[in-house]
Amino acid sequence: MSLWATQVWLGLSIAVIGISMHRTGPAFRRHPFGTPVALLGLAVMLIRVEEPPSPESEVVSAAVDTAFWAIPALLGLSLVLSGAPLYWRSRPLPLLAGWALIAAGWLQYYSTSSPSLADALDAGGSLIGILLSITVFVLCVRTAERMTPQEPETEGLDEKERKYVASVLRRHLEVDDEP
Amino acid sequence: MSPELDSVATAFVGSAALTSMFVVLAMIGTLNHYHRPIIPVLGALMVMLSCTYLLAWADGTAVDTLTLRMTMSEGVFAMLKLLPFVFLILTALLLEASLRKRPEDPLLALLESESGSE
Repeated sequence: MSLWATQVWLGLSIAVIGISMHRTGPAFRRHPFGTPVALLGLAVMLIRVEEPPSPESEVVSAAVDTAFWAIPALLGLSLVLSGAPLYWRSRPLPLLAGWALIAAGWLQYYSTSSPSLADALDAGGSLIGILLSITVFVLCVRTAERMTPQEPETEGLDEKERKYVASVLRRHLEVDDEP
Repeated sequence: MSPELDSVATAFVGSAALTSMFVVLAMIGTLNHYHRPIIPVLGALMVMLSCTYLLAWADGTAVDTLTLRMTMSEGVFAMLKLLPFVFLILTALLLEASLRKRPEDPLLALLESESGSE
């Protein structure tokens, strides 16, 4: 395998690892290295000195062509998500900007692609393949969890721990420590 | 096999292999002390290798790194073909979310009245 082909797959792998790292942790504090690692992966995949061989050159070319409509689409979807009245009031500015970007994404898609029935059939095959792979993964995780020995039941609190927990609860409920 | 069916089968095999590769990479990216990744990684590798073997068998070629790269590439092409349909579904869902009225929430109303009185 040539160096440039390796670079494409290494870049894709680093990007996927970065995205996975970013998804760990609570929603308000994501993994600090997730986004930089994902961007590093994209840079490794796209910035190169020589054209990679086939089939990697077609992979990069197809990904770049898709990015022309997928990036405005992704930005638009996230803006609409933040502006729509899902959890809070509607925010018109992000909502309108988001829909403008979504419309731009669709226009770009239709100006560069000509979807056909064969594409729809391929997409169906792809979806079934993804589902099969995820099903195998879920079954493997279930097997691994079943094989993990159960930990012994935790012992109850002793008197000292009980007093400590009671005092914490009293403080949080703003009740005097002494009954 | 007809060319259309051949294309669907290739998309199926490629997507399954690429998703399994993503599963392995996701487990590397989220590795922690409580993970027990050996069985899921073995399962994902088995799917990847089976798909590569199937594609090599269908093409009448040897199972080597070129076939593995071809399988993964077919997975990328197939997933890129799936993206417009995902975009279509998300557009419809967000259109519904944008047009709906937020249900009255007594807790949020209380919060708004408290912030307004300050």
